[in-house]
Amino acid sequence: MSASAESASVGSATEPVSAGPGVAMPPIPSATPSEPELVQLLTPEGERVTHPTYSVDVTDEELRGLYRDLVLVRRVDAEATALQRQGELGIWASLLGQEAAQVGSGRAMREDDYAFPTYREHGVAWCRGVDPLNLLGLFRGVNHGGWDPNEKNFHLYTIVIGAQTLHATGYAMGMQKDGAESAVIAYFGDGATSQGDVNEAFIYASVFNAPVVFFCQNNQWAISEPIEKQSRIPLYQRAMGFGFPGIRVDGNDVLAVLAVTKAALQNAREGNGPTLVEAYTYRMGAHTTSDDPTRYRLTDELESWKLKDPIERLKAYLVRTGKIDQPFLDALETESDELAAHVRQGCLDMLDPEPLSIFDHVYAEAHPMIDEEREQFAAYLDTFEGSEQS
Amino acid sequence: MKQFKLPDVGEGLTEAEIVSWKVKPGDTVKVNEIVVEIETAKSLVELPSPFAGVVAELLVEEGTTVDVGTPIITVDDGSGPAAAPPRDDMLPAIPEDPSAVGTPAEDLAVEPGLIGGPAPGGRTSVLVGYGPRTTSAVRRPRKGATPAGASAATAQQAVQTSMMTTPTPVQEPEGEQVPDVAPARTVPSARDTATSRALAKPPVRKLAKDLGVDLATVTPTGDGGVVTRGDVEQAADLSAGERPIGRPAADKSTGERETRVPVKGVRKMTAQAMVSSAFTAPHVTEWVTVDVTRTMELVERLRADRDWQGVRVSPLLVVMKALLLATKRNPEVNAAWDEAAQEIVVKHYVNLGIAAATPRGLVVPNIKDADALSLRELADALAALVDTARAGRTQPAEMSGGTMTITNVGIFGVDSGTPILNPGESVILCFGQVRPMPWVHEGEVTVRQVTQLAISFDHRLIDGQLGSMFLSDIARVLEDPATALLW
Amino acid sequence: MSQITLAKGITMGLRRAMEADPKVLVMGEDVGKLGGVFRVTDGLQKDFGEDRVIDTPLAESGIIGTAIGLALRGYRPVCEIQFDGFVYPAFDQIVSQLAKMRARALGKISLPVVIRIPVGGGIGAVEHHSESNEAYFAHTAGLKVVACSNPVDAYFMVQQAVASDDPVILYEPKRRYWEKAELDESLTLEQALPMSAARVVREGADITVAAYGPTVKTAMEAATAAAEEGTSIEVVDLRSLSPLDMPTLRSSVERTGRLVVVHEAPVFLGMGAEVAARITESCFYALEAPVLRVGGFDTPYPPSRVEEDYLPDLDRILDAVDRSLAY
Repeated sequence: MSASAESASVGSATEPVSAGPGVAMPPIPSATPSEPELVQLLTPEGERVTHPTYSVDVTDEELRGLYRDLVLVRRVDAEATALQRQGELGIWASLLGQEAAQVGSGRAMREDDYAFPTYREHGVAWCRGVDPLNLLGLFRGVNHGGWDPNEKNFHLYTIVIGAQTLHATGYAMGMQKDGAESAVIAYFGDGATSQGDVNEAFIYASVFNAPVVFFCQNNQWAISEPIEKQSRIPLYQRAMGFGFPGIRVDGNDVLAVLAVTKAALQNAREGNGPTLVEAYTYRMGAHTTSDDPTRYRLTDELESWKLKDPIERLKAYLVRTGKIDQPFLDALETESDELAAHVRQGCLDMLDPEPLSIFDHVYAEAHPMIDEEREQFAAYLDTFEGSEQS
Repeated sequence: MKQFKLPDVGEGLTEAEIVSWKVKPGDTVKVNEIVVEIETAKSLVELPSPFAGVVAELLVEEGTTVDVGTPIITVDDGSGPAAAPPRDDMLPAIPEDPSAVGTPAEDLAVEPGLIGGPAPGGRTSVLVGYGPRTTSAVRRPRKGATPAGASAATAQQAVQTSMMTTPTPVQEPEGEQVPDVAPARTVPSARDTATSRALAKPPVRKLAKDLGVDLATVTPTGDGGVVTRGDVEQAADLSAGERPIGRPAADKSTGERETRVPVKGVRKMTAQAMVSSAFTAPHVTEWVTVDVTRTMELVERLRADRDWQGVRVSPLLVVMKALLLATKRNPEVNAAWDEAAQEIVVKHYVNLGIAAATPRGLVVPNIKDADALSLRELADALAALVDTARAGRTQPAEMSGGTMTITNVGIFGVDSGTPILNPGESVILCFGQVRPMPWVHEGEVTVRQVTQLAISFDHRLIDGQLGSMFLSDIARVLEDPATALLW
Repeated sequence: MSQITLAKGITMGLRRAMEADPKVLVMGEDVGKLGGVFRVTDGLQKDFGEDRVIDTPLAESGIIGTAIGLALRGYRPVCEIQFDGFVYPAFDQIVSQLAKMRARALGKISLPVVIRIPVGGGIGAVEHHSESNEAYFAHTAGLKVVACSNPVDAYFMVQQAVASDDPVILYEPKRRYWEKAELDESLTLEQALPMSAARVVREGADITVAAYGPTVKTAMEAATAAAEEGTSIEVVDLRSLSPLDMPTLRSSVERTGRLVVVHEAPVFLGMGAEVAARITESCFYALEAPVLRVGGFDTPYPPSRVEEDYLPDLDRILDAVDRSLAY
């Protein structure tokens, strides 16, 4: 056994540690990561730039569409945050700052592709055509999901960190077996990359060559822990070790995200296996509405990221090139307000679930114990004044 | 037009001062626009408007302290003139007991909305939801006087019996204060020496209960001091018809000046029910003295009648019939007060309760749908009811659902009394003893069979006139049972 | 004497433990600068350094697995699992490794690992943040499982857990984190009630209600309401779920003849089932009524807007009390 010889490298420069009699100490290669590359097609200042590998061919109409998506998604997010402040939602996980990563990747998908989100993918949901109102049920506490995943090929939000990456991989394996030319996109964050499930998903996807794109929004913070607490190398470089490509993209650049994700999805559809896309972005808000980021990060950092705002840069580009004008912006603002009003009213109109709904959908088949409990609870509720005799 | 009520901004506080208005009448406000700054005992808080529209009126002046829930501003949102309050659930709930709110200690004060800080509705902010809510030591009212499944086990009114049933005084913890950690278990020594309860297996307990035997008084013969079925049966035979309820045989021999009898079982139930009734329903009691000579003659006739042989006929039977007939003429008396619904429930059936003294104490079984029974059927039902009660086998169902009650105190040789309503009922008739009395009959003083009837009724739903007419109708039937033919 | 919250009780207890023994470590997600999502470890990293208060990568299996290694090396790690529903990735490490290693080593090694888990519902949370999974771990031999219900117990029990040479899972009732009580800091650990003992927190004569963690307060409120109605409830805070302090519970039930067990976890195969079985076996002749259980339903934990229907509350407890007394 010479395991110790391969792993121990604690020796100082002056006194090399002997690994044993007659065994030479081979040098351990440094794990210093190579300089990260960042795919970018639109600079923070709103300049279009080119990239040797990735490009995106979008019409002016599509550009306006992307801008509209970004604005509306941010507006919904702001309204939900306000609703939480007013006690109408128990919690809200804001996507502020991550709109481009979500809209870019969401719009890269085809209808037949399938998305597995975390609990923050409000922008992806929007692109998949899920009514933002549906997202609120979970946060208001009237349900645990609220939409049919198969209707828009958008799975339920998954709260347990990283668990959905395995589901996505399995779903992709199913597509592969079916001979479908579709792909799956698995969303997760930087913190999730530490989870066993995510690493296992990487291994399964790699070994089975599953058509899945691992889309990691590296927003720099896992609640209070900076990315340095999760990884010593840029996250996208991890893919190499699992045997598939990894790409870092400017997550605040909707065009670059669109280009890279489109390419990765197409690659997967064509049978070339998984890709890890690291969308390098920033969580501009708190982890959730009750979190207090001032306890663990500096305002300077936030200020510097504000300069890279995903919406502002696209707006600058579109305005400068005359692709949008004031009437367009005015109309969009009106549409935003209407959408926010729809979300607000819909939220206020959401009824609390009936107590007996607790017993619904637990099993597909009859379960006498649950039935008995339901009956007993109904009878119990009926004993209170003001309850209706049922 | 919408009114914005001062919300509890999350600290379980009951009031706040209006510090400064950020808007004035005529201003247009948007949803979430800050309209006012308020000061609570803890902090200055800005309140966002839950509505959009034009400010119609500021209802509270700056510098004024108002209670949570007070309307502070009216916003015209175009919804019409009705100053409908906003949906209640839009406003954070006001905790029932502000002192119970789990707000952080002063030295730990955290900004509203942040973890550990106040959240809407008297909650405390957490990372992942609305935050914990406050609770209080108050029970939700249940339908009827008795909880489900418990039959008549407990009544809702406070009856302080715990001091009597506890071997040592109960240490009443202070509010929600959790107990201090003591170096060791703080169990008073008296508790350790307190005698354990009688040992018996469940079927034997059931038997003892059915036979009205107090297990604690039974001498156990089983291994390890366990009371056996035979022990209970023997004890039941010994006590049958001898010992009055609630007076353990021990009280004379011990020579103590007082005997403490645990309040439990039927006694406890009765006490709770009576307290509940006495302090819930305003009682009115009326009396009438009646010449029941003809009723007594009818009783004699029936007893002698061949068709009625073997049937137990008593004056009570005729009183029951009289009451049922009077109820037909005054149906509103057969009713109940539903406090929760704010309704009077008029019953179209009579479940006639008969208060019965039994070995276990007072029980009030009732005859279901007594109004539909013939006199003969009524007699049979009464006999069955009395037998069951005497045997101590009255089932809870037989005691529930009563609509009116008769208490027959005459059998104890008293004239009458002021009966207390059975909870949930509105009328109780007290039937005194029938005895020969000098009476003016057909213009002359003669000796007649006379009794006194007393009726108590719930004055919330039965007025004096109705109650009086009802009692008078009963009296008329008893005075001349033939009256029944006219009705 | 000072007034502290339950969360602060844990903080102070941890601080005491860390001061007393340099081998005590705190590890978990966000426990450092942030002080934990419930602020339970607030200030510890500042005072004890990043070496002893460790922000771990976001991986629960990793937290427990490496804690086992640290314990093997002589450290006493106190692991924080951020929420009850997040402990499952670490299930293998806890159940297959942590719990069994001592027996496999014929007692040659001890694993003094403490796993702190904020437990239970009632905070209006999204799913996986309101679960009660104590039965899984109480069912696993080799683990001690305890639950504190008040600030003073929190202060002492976390210290006792750290001092124990066995792995201890300490459940902290998250909806009670901000309950307050007076703490006499001059009391020593030796003076405190042992971690594995139950406590009679309110004496009564008619019926015993056994609870632990978050439901102790509910049971106390039920007892207050019942006293108004003339029913005298004795409340026992079980505190330790493994081992169970049966003598204390037995002596209570032998006096009252009736027992209701309350917990938030589903009743099916929950702690109440074990307690009921044991009491039925040992107090059979003293029982006036079957042991009744009040707990969560056998369903997934529901959305927060109906959680109050799911959680045992004062009324559900008193309903069981009524039913017991009706026997």
